[in-house]
Amino acid sequence: MDDLDRELGPYEPVEDFSDFSVDNSSKGGTNVKHPNVNPTMCLETPRETGFHRSTRICLEQIREAILHHRWQEAAEYMACYPQLLEDTCLPLAQQNKELLWRISINILHHHPNSTMEDYNNICERMKHSGIRHHLMICLEHSFHLLLHGQAEDAKWQLSSAESWRHGKESAAQHQRAKLIQAYRSLLDYVIWCDKRFSNSNNYFDSDNQGMHNNFRQASLNLKDILKSPGVWDSFILSYTDMLELYDDHEEALKILNDYAYNNNFPPNPNAHAYLYRYLKRHDASEKNLMRVLKVLHILVPSHELMLDYSTLLLNSENEADIQKALGIILDMLDFTCWRTNMDVWKCLKAVIQRLEIQEDWENFVCEKMALRKDWWPALHFTSFHASKDLEENPELWKVKASLEKVLCPKQTLKYTADCVTNGKRT
Amino acid sequence: MDDEYTAGYREPCSQCSAVDWGITDECHFYCRSCHNVIERTRDVEDTGFVQGGSNKISSIRKGSKKKLERGHIWMVCEGFQFILRNQANALLRLGVSPQFKDDVLCPLWRLFLQKSRLAYTSNPVKSSKFRVQDVNSDSDSAAESSIMSASATDGESNPPSVADSNAENASDYSGSMDVSSYLSARLRRKRSPLSMMKTLALIHLALVWSREALTLSDLLRLVNEGHVPYVNAYEQLPEEMKVVGKDALLFRVESIPSHRVVHKEAQALVLFLQLPAFPPVTCETLLHPELLSLRYLTDTNLPDELHLWVCRLMEQAGMADQTLHTFDPHSCPLLPRYDVQTAALIIVTMKFLFGLDDHTEWNLSNEVGNQSDSGDLFNLRRWYRLMQTALMRAQQRRRQDIARKQWKAKKLIFPKNNGAKRTMMKKKRIAEQVQLCFEKLSSRPAGVQEVSPSSFRFCWGDEEGSDGPSLHHMKLDGVVSQKHNLLTPSNSTYWHPGLKKCDRRRCPSSHYSDMEPTLPRSFVWLLQLFSFLLDVKPSDLYEEVLKVERQVIGTKTHCDVSSRKKKTRTSARTKSSPRTLERTCLTGGESGKTVSDSS
Repeated sequence: MDDLDRELGPYEPVEDFSDFSVDNSSKGGTNVKHPNVNPTMCLETPRETGFHRSTRICLEQIREAILHHRWQEAAEYMACYPQLLEDTCLPLAQQNKELLWRISINILHHHPNSTMEDYNNICERMKHSGIRHHLMICLEHSFHLLLHGQAEDAKWQLSSAESWRHGKESAAQHQRAKLIQAYRSLLDYVIWCDKRFSNSNNYFDSDNQGMHNNFRQASLNLKDILKSPGVWDSFILSYTDMLELYDDHEEALKILNDYAYNNNFPPNPNAHAYLYRYLKRHDASEKNLMRVLKVLHILVPSHELMLDYSTLLLNSENEADIQKALGIILDMLDFTCWRTNMDVWKCLKAVIQRLEIQEDWENFVCEKMALRKDWWPALHFTSFHASKDLEENPELWKVKASLEKVLCPKQTLKYTADCVTNGKRT
Repeated sequence: MDDEYTAGYREPCSQCSAVDWGITDECHFYCRSCHNVIERTRDVEDTGFVQGGSNKISSIRKGSKKKLERGHIWMVCEGFQFILRNQANALLRLGVSPQFKDDVLCPLWRLFLQKSRLAYTSNPVKSSKFRVQDVNSDSDSAAESSIMSASATDGESNPPSVADSNAENASDYSGSMDVSSYLSARLRRKRSPLSMMKTLALIHLALVWSREALTLSDLLRLVNEGHVPYVNAYEQLPEEMKVVGKDALLFRVESIPSHRVVHKEAQALVLFLQLPAFPPVTCETLLHPELLSLRYLTDTNLPDELHLWVCRLMEQAGMADQTLHTFDPHSCPLLPRYDVQTAALIIVTMKFLFGLDDHTEWNLSNEVGNQSDSGDLFNLRRWYRLMQTALMRAQQRRRQDIARKQWKAKKLIFPKNNGAKRTMMKKKRIAEQVQLCFEKLSSRPAGVQEVSPSSFRFCWGDEEGSDGPSLHHMKLDGVVSQKHNLLTPSNSTYWHPGLKKCDRRRCPSSHYSDMEPTLPRSFVWLLQLFSFLLDVKPSDLYEEVLKVERQVIGTKTHCDVSSRKKKTRTSARTKSSPRTLERTCLTGGESGKTVSDSS
């Protein structure tokens, strides 16, 4: 709880794991979606040789073809492009290799006639063409294998990448090696899952030795990896899943707590959600649950678990908790995504009903609505909303109509059935 | 130590395609770069020999192998001679007369070797490094003189070289033996006396001398399309001539030089060789603008009747004279650019007939279109539309060809350093494998599709694959009319930019880029069309057009520094009272604002 100051900082969404890939290590900047191409490659220079002109225009043609999804044409030009590797201008060599690798796999990925064999072929060639990109290519390769459902092959790829050593280079790519390890363990988990469901009768048979082996291999690495700061969502889920099956609750809880509250980790709402769900599965006390959700509310007021939070608050006898629940539900309704959600509105109605027993409840609602009174009518209570709600979900209309007067008592709103019937008549 | 056994095995590794084999303790071969162990084991025979202590045998084996790799000793100029011969043979196969090679190119090459003191001289160019190897200088001169007399009669023989006699003494065997003398600091400052571009300049000179119908742009096009060996021409050298190490700097080609650069080189060469006057380029010669323009008119689908007007213009301007088109160290010291000049003449003729000021030509086209029997009349608008689509297509095609062009040779020039050699081979193999993979995937081979050599870029007519219907038979009656029994263009105005000459050294940048936005679009388009046809820069062609206009209109004012600004100002379209072309030419034109009427 005391680690909140960091969590409260500006929250930056982390959309995709690959975007977060541990790239600080490489100077080249190897974001999968935007290869960092040196702009000089695409510009005509006054003393350009014919060879460079050819490769430059070829690259332009390939790019054009790729952008328009003309994969056949792109493949045709790609056949003319590898001469780039033989460029005698040495400073560009590494960059050229990377460029060739990325374009090749991109085309192979989309070309209708490409085979797994081609893909393997290119990946092997490129892996051995330069040590700088070895690990990245291995990772990419295993992802591609996974896409084609070859989990075992993919794991084999990663295992061999894990054992790859190349003097100083492998030290420089320490973080990538970490990533490889993480994914290898994740694949171990996937295989573990397969085995678990295929022979679900008795987990602790001696026949299931292989499955336990997978667990050991996976957990060893995962435990290690989860110590380093980062967004490890899918990894932590698989790890706790395994720990749960082997009844190691203490470890699981420790890992999840650490993931949520460790200041070194980037703020991550998922971490709190995972912790909450885990606690809920294991019947933790309401107090504990509410504590987790309170933090989550600060991070993401529109989170779906806020509905759970307000239900929990409603269950308590404390007056202040009911007031808190009102604040949380109103916060949720600030977001358009919950605008037509029946459950939220019902919950709001329940909260209001509970409030009505209290003294001075109207003032309290007014206070909460003070900031919202300018824009809530436009967000929720226009005649357009009335007609739409009536048409799509009359029950929702009823709930909303009953709350309208409570939330905005001094305003005259057009959220009525009249205008709809009027509108229909004209 | 493993190298002794693995040296003979040069197969690439199946895993990583490196050629770097080691031997495991179990005598298996393994790849040192990816640790892949293969089936092959160390030869048992070899072990037997080594254990038997027979060092002699292994050393002999080693020696003979090295020798084979080493190849013969050769001189750089020999290499260039082979390349030049291959280029000349390719031209002969394309239909150039046989005299070109034996009677023109060969003496020219010998003259060049002599003048640049590379051979046929008692005072050869030598670098310091070269002199160290040159032990017995007495036998040198003797051998040299004897070979010199022998080879003078034999066109095919290699030039005599000082290297022949001291072959046994030379320590550095592989590669040409005197390459370092071409690349020494002293020579590099003045540029190497021999380069691949020089071969083109020499061939161009020889072609002009023998008055073949190949202009410089034709030659460069043949080179570009691969009909004349140039890129990777060293691959065709005989097997015994190994191209290694620094030879790359002379023989590796990474671009095809531009028209301008080769012309400059040829111009320099002609002065360096102190050549006498060339055989006259008369009206009957295919290089003369009179006949060359016919070819360009056909290629651009312009009516044949236009040729009359081009000839008339040349006559009026006094440009038909053969002395203007024949190189002569005294009367015409500049090597003419036949192709560019002819294109400029056509453009000027078009300007006389159609105005090309973005108004006149379209008005004329409208008039032609309004006539009842316009079927047989040349309509510039129709021609423009036809030509524009063909030009766009051709430009697209050229761009694609550039993108698909393969520059790298099958046979590499390896550096002498073994490590660098290995990485180079590996890169080459990886490039080949990736290429193969995509060739299979796209089922289309890499590289530009072979086209048969042709003098024409475009094809007009009704047959399949043509760029459009032919307009050659069209009549110009819409734009010319009979006046006083003389055919006269109905367009009476002529615009031109300021014609003051500029001092090249003072304003080296081309004025075209400054001028281009102010010029009429149709004129710029015509420049682009012809510069595409000849593969020259539009600015070069523009300069040539100005030169022709100067000649036709006859202004010869000189440009001083201060008037540079003025020039751009006067470049606006100017108009004044019409005057006859004839008179302008006779009087020599006193003002730069001449606007003339054709007689």
